[in-house]
Amino acid sequence: MNAEETVAGLKQELRRGTLILLVLSQLRKPTYGYSLVKSLSESGIPMDANTLYPLLRRLEGQGLLKSQWDTGENKPRKYYQITPEGQLVLEETKAYWKQLSTQVDKLLEEEV
Amino acid sequence: MNQELIDRYLYAVTRRMPKAKQEDVAQELRGLIDDMLAERCGDRTPEEKDIRIVLTELGSPQDLFNKYDEDGGKCLIGQPYYSTYKSVLKIVFIAVAVGMTIASMILCLVEPMGVWKTVGTWLGNVYNGLLSGFAIVTVLFAFFYKKSVPLGQPFNFDDLPPVPKKKETISKGECYAGIGLSVVFLVVFLTAPQIFCAILTETKQVIPIFDPAMVRQTWYLIVLFAACGITREIVKLMEGRYNKTVLVTKVVCNIASAVLSIWWLRGFDLMNPEFVGSISALFRGDAEFIIRIFSNFQLFFLGCILFALVLDTLEGIIKTVRK
Repeated sequence: MNAEETVAGLKQELRRGTLILLVLSQLRKPTYGYSLVKSLSESGIPMDANTLYPLLRRLEGQGLLKSQWDTGENKPRKYYQITPEGQLVLEETKAYWKQLSTQVDKLLEEEV
Repeated sequence: MNQELIDRYLYAVTRRMPKAKQEDVAQELRGLIDDMLAERCGDRTPEEKDIRIVLTELGSPQDLFNKYDEDGGKCLIGQPYYSTYKSVLKIVFIAVAVGMTIASMILCLVEPMGVWKTVGTWLGNVYNGLLSGFAIVTVLFAFFYKKSVPLGQPFNFDDLPPVPKKKETISKGECYAGIGLSVVFLVVFLTAPQIFCAILTETKQVIPIFDPAMVRQTWYLIVLFAACGITREIVKLMEGRYNKTVLVTKVVCNIASAVLSIWWLRGFDLMNPEFVGSISALFRGDAEFIIRIFSNFQLFFLGCILFALVLDTLEGIIKTVRK
């Protein structure tokens, strides 16, 4: 494995760990899958729909999200929203992320 | 707009998911494809080329299915086999209990024994039967599941299976009934081969057609024969429609069943000697034909089985070709 592949693998792993945190954080209001793909991508976090859709369903299965079909518009859409349990998970993970990233930043700064 | 291509893609993604999830996932993905097409084409009507690009972007149906099925390949029996496994197990348990009860009643009539001994034997038989049924069904499903977890392969739009029409689909009830009947037959026949018997009204004598000891001695052939039938039904259940897989399994299982029947009925002397003797004595002279059938009962029985297997295979071929 060359350095380029190693970097790509590491980036993917770092991303994977943070995606759930990001998705939970963006679902305070009911949102449907594709609009979440768009808003994440506009914020500089591109995520493929074929990764996000199964992830939303998995988080719903874990009780972190709830969903509701809106058939009122011309296109029926499934809206996802965070549950109180998801909120709890989000808050704790967010706090951990902040602590971790501060420490990581500090260590990386020292290195320079 | 070529809605059919989208339908076929969605069918390929969802067909192996649990029933309850299929429609919901398909509808959600349909909305996603619509959104992606709308973004790509704006006000213009999407052409087939646009649909192909959007679907390619979503990835092969197999990859997408794998993303929905994270535990795929990591367990003994995963989805979509797990749901069917549970239903088949239920049917087999019921069939074993019913079969064992019928068998115990027959044994009780043929060879009366005390109440406690009868109840004890019945409970012991049911317990053993349930364990064996559980083992056979689990091994069969684990085998199918392991074989079904496909390796990543590039997908071709032309290979997407068409969405089956209602009448093409196989009735689940029919498959469950087939499995249930096979198990009841297996259990009753192995435990109480005396179910096939002649009752002489004059002497009130019960004469089994088969030699129970011989039938029990060749149990493995009978179990394999029943396993062929159950395999055939499980594949039908999983595929849900008549296709090449169902036909090939049917042909292979039927050939195996034919070989097993020939081995069983030609290789062993299964008839009860007492039965052959009493039939000849009973019909003495005036029913030459009946005597001939019963004297060659094994050959006659084999003929019936082979005929049924040929009919079943032909039915499978016709149903597959006609669709």
